[in-house]
Amino acid sequence: MVSRRGFLASSAAAAASAAAGLGVGAAAATQVANDQAQTSTAKRFLKFEGPHQVGIETPIQAVTNMVTFDLLPGTTLSDMQRWMFLLTDDIRRMANGEPVLADPAPELAIGAARFSAYVGFGPSMFRKLGIENRMPEGLIDLPAFSIDDLKDEFSGGDVLIHVAADDPVVLSHGVRNLVRDSLPFATVRWNQAGFSHTPGMVPEGVTHRNLMGQVDGTANPALDSDDFDEVVWIKDGPQWIQGGTLLVFRRIAMQLDTWDQLSSVGKGEVIGRTLKEGAPLTGSKESDLPDFEARSAVGLKVIPEFAHIRRASDSGQGERIFRRPFSYEMPISKAGSMDVGLLWCAYQRNIEKQYLPMQLRLAELDLLNRWTLPIGSATFAIPRGVTGDEVIAEGLFS
Amino acid sequence: MKLRNAFLIAAVAPLLVLTGCASTPAVEISDPWVRASDYSDHVGGMTGVFFEVKNNSSETITLVGGSAEIAGKVEIHEIVMSGGEMVMQQKDGGISIEPGQTHVLEMGGDHVMLMDLNKAIVAGDVLSVTLDFEGAEDVTLTDLVAKPSDGGDETYHEEDHNH
Repeated sequence: MVSRRGFLASSAAAAASAAAGLGVGAAAATQVANDQAQTSTAKRFLKFEGPHQVGIETPIQAVTNMVTFDLLPGTTLSDMQRWMFLLTDDIRRMANGEPVLADPAPELAIGAARFSAYVGFGPSMFRKLGIENRMPEGLIDLPAFSIDDLKDEFSGGDVLIHVAADDPVVLSHGVRNLVRDSLPFATVRWNQAGFSHTPGMVPEGVTHRNLMGQVDGTANPALDSDDFDEVVWIKDGPQWIQGGTLLVFRRIAMQLDTWDQLSSVGKGEVIGRTLKEGAPLTGSKESDLPDFEARSAVGLKVIPEFAHIRRASDSGQGERIFRRPFSYEMPISKAGSMDVGLLWCAYQRNIEKQYLPMQLRLAELDLLNRWTLPIGSATFAIPRGVTGDEVIAEGLFS
Repeated sequence: MKLRNAFLIAAVAPLLVLTGCASTPAVEISDPWVRASDYSDHVGGMTGVFFEVKNNSSETITLVGGSAEIAGKVEIHEIVMSGGEMVMQQKDGGISIEPGQTHVLEMGGDHVMLMDLNKAIVAGDVLSVTLDFEGAEDVTLTDLVAKPSDGGDETYHEEDHNH
């Protein structure tokens, strides 16, 4: 009797000899090309070294996990240096698709899959370490907004490690390594996992959709543009933050049950854009600039006063941000309600001057608030990137 | 700060082999690390050092011991089964590596033991350890990184090491 393995081997041999007759070169090349295509995600990597930490000015990855930590009592500046040293080496290796030093599961390091992780520091960290005077300009604790219903388990944090990749197994392995190397210094405060599209779903540069169906991020500065540098990357202050940025994180729950009761025209008026095309109500395609003055035949504003894009638009004072929101999905309730929303991340040079005035306008009036509820909130300073022998946040903890 | 030299050496060494450069080290150490744990975080404590060692020479080499400023004693240890239990003990004669072969020192297996620590070793520390070889020059691992780790069923009994 021929064992299954033997059968497979002999049929492979037969196929090989047939291929030899037909021209093995072409067959082998096809096989190699197929293998290459099938593992293309594993091979894609993001360059770790550079002026900025990675995972911000980067086309959004498929999956993410944001992990925050609270410092152990008595943590010193020297502890912080040793922690950052370990994280820098870990992130560098995993960005290259390699296991970390002392990796308990090196066999999981099968490819980079655009792994990225950046580190950030909340205002509470500066206070605990007694270095409030080193807080970058424009990093603030957000005031309480009337629309908020914030939960402790989704909010705050001394240190953030924001990990992302195009593969869930690579992400999980990466988070595990970074958390293990953090535990001598801190305890986990919260972690929030999320997702976006799988690569290959939308062309690069096309705005992704959130779970309400909206295109989300239309007004963003384009990646790799001067505009992006202007909005996001800090140019002055101490060296550790030059090339860094400030993050506003908001966990925003979506009330899909009631949102889905609206008509598509109704949804469009709430947003100020059509759902399908993402075009402003005064235009025909997503890239059209909204005309906030345009009026209908009966004299009403085409983009209503309560529309989200009107309330969020820059008042001319440089109130712009770069949004990079992931979606989250929690277990469905017994009644069938989806518990979904956004891990809403916005990057800017100065929270006080860029995010805050915009958010105050949105909190005051934005019809979208009826279907969205901020339930988590935190702010972080993200140090610049590293080159050569440097360690993340070098200089801050000396 | 120049904390990454150990990694740079590890990364550059294989390139030297590929290009057949004359400066290929006879003894090639990659990914060295030292374990930071409850056993190492106090004076008088102990811990293990782990790495891969490749013998690029044409003679058998033997890792017989070592020295470190931070440790009163440096020994080569192995883990063996004894009476149904994993027991760590000093490895008689050290670790021999044939020409062209690689030996892995890992948690739960052979390792270099730093004992009678005169200073705590905590996560993220960087230290220096010299490895003594017979059949090759001694190798000093500078910038040896202390990593937190609980793997390999590695528990130490401090009283067992007073031999």
